[in-house]
Amino acid sequence: MSSATKASRIGEELWKTRVDKVNAELVTLTYGTIVAQLCQDYDGNYQDVNKQLEKMGYNIGMRLIEDFLAKSNVGRCANFRETADMIAKVGFRIFLNIAPTVTNWTSDNNQFSLVFDENPLADFVELPDDGRAQDELWFSNILCGVLRGALEMVQMQIEAHFVSDVLRGDDTTEMRVSLVRYIEDEMPPDEE
Amino acid sequence: MSYYFTILSPTDVPLFNIAFGTSKSGGDGIARFRFPDTAQYMNQFIIHSSLDVVEEAQWMNGNMYLKHIDTYPPASAYISAFLTPSGARFLLLHQPPQLPTNNVSSATAGSGSILGSSFSGSGGSSSRASASSVAANPTSPQTEEAVRQFMTEVYENYVKTVMSPFYRQGMEIKSSVFRGKVTAAGRKWL
Amino acid sequence: MVVYSFYIFDRHAECIYKRRWLPRPSSIVGSKSSRPTSEASAPATGPPAVLGQSARTTDDDAKLIFGTVFSLRNMARKLGGEDDNFVTYRTNQYRLHYYETPTNTKFVMLTDIKSPSMRVALQQIYINLYVEYVVKNPLSPTEHPGGVGVNNELFEESLEQFVTRVLS
Repeated sequence: MSSATKASRIGEELWKTRVDKVNAELVTLTYGTIVAQLCQDYDGNYQDVNKQLEKMGYNIGMRLIEDFLAKSNVGRCANFRETADMIAKVGFRIFLNIAPTVTNWTSDNNQFSLVFDENPLADFVELPDDGRAQDELWFSNILCGVLRGALEMVQMQIEAHFVSDVLRGDDTTEMRVSLVRYIEDEMPPDEE
Repeated sequence: MSYYFTILSPTDVPLFNIAFGTSKSGGDGIARFRFPDTAQYMNQFIIHSSLDVVEEAQWMNGNMYLKHIDTYPPASAYISAFLTPSGARFLLLHQPPQLPTNNVSSATAGSGSILGSSFSGSGGSSSRASASSVAANPTSPQTEEAVRQFMTEVYENYVKTVMSPFYRQGMEIKSSVFRGKVTAAGRKWL
Repeated sequence: MVVYSFYIFDRHAECIYKRRWLPRPSSIVGSKSSRPTSEASAPATGPPAVLGQSARTTDDDAKLIFGTVFSLRNMARKLGGEDDNFVTYRTNQYRLHYYETPTNTKFVMLTDIKSPSMRVALQQIYINLYVEYVVKNPLSPTEHPGGVGVNNELFEESLEQFVTRVLS
C-alpha cells in the first residue's frame, strides 16, 4: 500500500472519530477578518501582511503538530515523501477537511507542491480591488507558516510559499514546500 | 422586456446597479428601454420613487419578496421589490417592450453608457415576446415567480459577496464576480 | 506501585517540568510527610531515596536523568536503527520509564521496581494532559528558554490526580 493511500485512510479515520467540528463559516470569517484587519493595520503593505500571517502560522504550527501527533499517534516519517503525504492527507484533512494533491516532486525528493482544489480559508473572499493586492497579497499565507512551525517541531527545517492562488485569478492554488535540512538533536547547554 | 436592477442599502445608498434585457423567448439579454435618452436617470428616479411603497409594504407581511409593488405608467415601468433581513432593498424595474413592433435597436447606443461594455452592443430586434410570456406581462403569476427566483438567486450571491472580508458594510459592490452572477441569474430567470 | 518522580524535557533539552512524590515511608529514613513538592527551588529533602545520596537538588536530578535517557536513546538508535528507542530500564532500586514524542519531547517517570510498564501511562499524560492543557493553552509559551517551564495549574492538578488515583 502506498504511503499516500495509507495516509488517506488514517486521515479519513481520524476525521470521523477524533476531530471536533466547528462551523466552517466561523473559521472562514474569523480568518478573513484577521487578514483584512492586518491589511488595514499595515496600511496596504501586503509584503508585511504576508510576513505577519506566516509568523502567526508558525506559532500555530508549533502547537498544532502536538495535537496532530496526539490524535493520530503516528510515528516519525521514513522520508520526506511520506511526510508530504502525511501533511496532505492527514494534517489538512483533520484540520481543514481538505486533502490537497501532492505533486511536482523534484528529482532529489526535497521539494514538492501542494495543489489545493478547495480552500476553506478563502471562501467568499475577493481580494481588494486596489491593483496591488492581486499581485502582492497571499491571502492564505498562514498555511505556509503552519507547515514551517509544525515541521520544525519534528526536526525538519522547511521553506514554504505560495506560487499561485485562484483568488488572484490563477487556475490553481499551489504551495511550494522545500526541505532545507533535518535538524539535529539539541544537546543540553554545557555546565560552566 | 428590459430590466434595471438596483440594490439599495438600508440608508438608501445605491450599492449596485445593472441594466439588462430579457433572455427568454429568444431575447438577446440587451436592455432596450423605451426612452433611451432619459432611461439612465429616469430608471433610477422611478426606482427611488417606489421606496415609499416599499416601506409601507414591508410591514404588511413577513415575506422578503414583496412582489410587484409599484407602477409608473408614463414609462410603463413596473417595480418588484425584495428585502433582505438586514434591510437592504433589491429593486427590479421591468419595462415590457412596446407592443407595436418598431425598431428600437437603433436606440440602444444611448443606454449603453450606463450599462458598461457588455451591453453596448446593438443586437437585432427581430424577436418579440408574445403578450402571455414571462417577458411581456409584468404582473402575471409566472412573472412574479420568475422574479422571485431571480431575487432569491441574487440574494444568495449577495450574501456571499458581503461575506468577503474585504467588503465593508455600506460600500458599493464593485465585485465583477457578483456582477457576473447577477447577469447569469437574469439570463436564467428573466 | 509507587511513583517517585516525573520529568518532561522539551526539544531543546530543557527540563520544562519536574515533579517528585516522596517515596513511601518504608524507603526513606525518617517519616517525611507525603506532601508532594514540585518546586525546583526547594532543597531536596532526600531525592527519591532510591537514588541514594541525599544532598542533590532536583535540578541535578533532572540533568542526570536527561543525560541518562539521552545517551540510552542514542545508543538504542545506533544498535536498533533510527526508529528504535528504549522503553524502560530498572536498577535494584527503581525503574525508569521513557516515552518520547516525534517532537522530541521526552517524558520520564521513575517508579518502584514492581511497577508494570508505564509507557501507555506516559503516552496518556502526553495526549490527555500535556497537549490538552499545556500545548493548547494559547497563553502558555511554546518554547521555554530557561523560563518557568510548564506553569499550569490545570496540568499539575490533573497530573496529580492521574498519578494518585489511576496509577496507584
